[in-house]
Amino acid sequence: MTNPSVIICPRCRSNIASIRATSPISGVWTVFGCNTCFYTWRSTEPEENRDPEKYLQVFRLNPADLANLPIVPTIQAKR
Amino acid sequence: MRAYQDLREFLSVLETEQQLLHVTEQVNFEPDLAAAACALTKIGETVPAIQFNKIAGCTDAQVVMNVHGSWPNHALVLGMDKKAPLREQFFEFVRRFQRYPGELERVASAPWQEVVVQKDINLFELMPLFRLNRGDGGFYIDKACTIARDPDDWDNDDVENVGIYRLQVKGPNRLGIQTVPQHDIAIQLAHAERRGEDLPVAIAVGNEPIVTLMGATPLLYNQLEYKMAAAMQGKPYRVVKTAKGLDVPWGSEYVLEGRVLAGQREMEGPFGEFPGYYSGGHRYPVIEIDRLSHRKNPIFESVYVGRPWTELDFLQAMTTSAPVFVQLNKMFPEVVAVNALYTHGLVVIVSTKTRYGGFAKSVGMGVLTTPHGLGYAKFVIVVDADVDPFNLDQVMWAMSVRANPGGDVLILPNLAENLLDPAGQPNGMAHKMIIDATTPIAPDRRGDYGEVLDTPEQTEQWQQKLTTMIAELRK
Repeated sequence: MTNPSVIICPRCRSNIASIRATSPISGVWTVFGCNTCFYTWRSTEPEENRDPEKYLQVFRLNPADLANLPIVPTIQAKR
Repeated sequence: MRAYQDLREFLSVLETEQQLLHVTEQVNFEPDLAAAACALTKIGETVPAIQFNKIAGCTDAQVVMNVHGSWPNHALVLGMDKKAPLREQFFEFVRRFQRYPGELERVASAPWQEVVVQKDINLFELMPLFRLNRGDGGFYIDKACTIARDPDDWDNDDVENVGIYRLQVKGPNRLGIQTVPQHDIAIQLAHAERRGEDLPVAIAVGNEPIVTLMGATPLLYNQLEYKMAAAMQGKPYRVVKTAKGLDVPWGSEYVLEGRVLAGQREMEGPFGEFPGYYSGGHRYPVIEIDRLSHRKNPIFESVYVGRPWTELDFLQAMTTSAPVFVQLNKMFPEVVAVNALYTHGLVVIVSTKTRYGGFAKSVGMGVLTTPHGLGYAKFVIVVDADVDPFNLDQVMWAMSVRANPGGDVLILPNLAENLLDPAGQPNGMAHKMIIDATTPIAPDRRGDYGEVLDTPEQTEQWQQKLTTMIAELRK
């Protein structure tokens, strides 16, 4: 059974996402952020941006791949 | 020439000139803001800026987009008549650009110091942030000036840098920043990292429109954008120092102060970028924000980036064309004008006088040796001085009749190219092409050119007369 208190990132499906902000007028929207891939979404966005099942395949990420992304610019060694 | 003290003054001018549209109905952050800004640029080249004041869930959020997004708005930024033709805007931009450097006017306080937040900073609560394109990795601050100094030459104002870099808001006080190695801030960050120090930065959002253009201009490392802004507006540029010693525009709406963290790189992106494609994800530097200041009732400014044309193409139009012209003209005084409007100047059109056969091909190669040519220019079309490079009808005519692919197309293999150009092979490398669409002259005797057509006597007078008559007819 899905635990309603766990927030799943629509992009990388990790479950360590958290609430970033709620609307100044209460109850209109909530902004969530993923602490793994840093994807950010709002509860009122089109489904493809907020629902892990509807998130577009082409933009999905695997958390395991994050460490292999290219580093730009190169980190300079301390002299 | 005109100096606007802040974004608000410029918006009021746009309002007077009927170049600012207020959306008074309630809209949603997504997808309305980006959709409206994207739709505007599809309507035409004379569209207004757009301001949203009623956003669902917000009490007082104000967002303005497309401030630079039309030729009339671009002309007004330069203090010119809103009907100024493109060619005139180019020559005026170049004229002022060559007056570098102007001066700084340092003052002690600014309106953006009215409200200060130093504790529990949460950018998602403090700024009206939203998504632009469906595949973007998050919400971006994409039209801000990021200001930094060189830690190895801290007191030298000329190497202070003001640049527009895309900033992904990744956490309450955490940003990702795109700094490709060609960017000045990448040099400053490298110097800081060698010292084992964080790089202090200030991020100014919602500025008068000239400094935004300057932040988008590829100036030399030792040229300060504020001094160019002063030259462009004909008046010293007013700045205020932060506690760390960074100069910030007096008129900014929001100012974020923080540090690029030494030695840290973290997932950033993707983001819909200027070539009309998403950039991939990379591990980019990270900024931690320690302080946020803003004016009362701040206005957040954003630029929609999508498949060209969008506002971004206006921001990168003259700011790309003018430096290429100035650099090329030093080598070849025969060069008349440069059009680098298309996709950040991946295509460059040069109009030039030619001195002898083969001359135009050398001008084309000259384009590829400018700093812009190294990282962007991929197709160079060279036309005669009687062709307006900003008039594509004329450019296509010149290519149609003055170029013979047999001897007028040069392909230069494996040159350096921008990482964001999706055609690179590998990424960052591309062949480049020069099309010589100038009339062959001695000793190049190819072709059979008779006398070129001109217009009947009195055509210009008739053009003026008929323009007035047509306007009357349509009243």
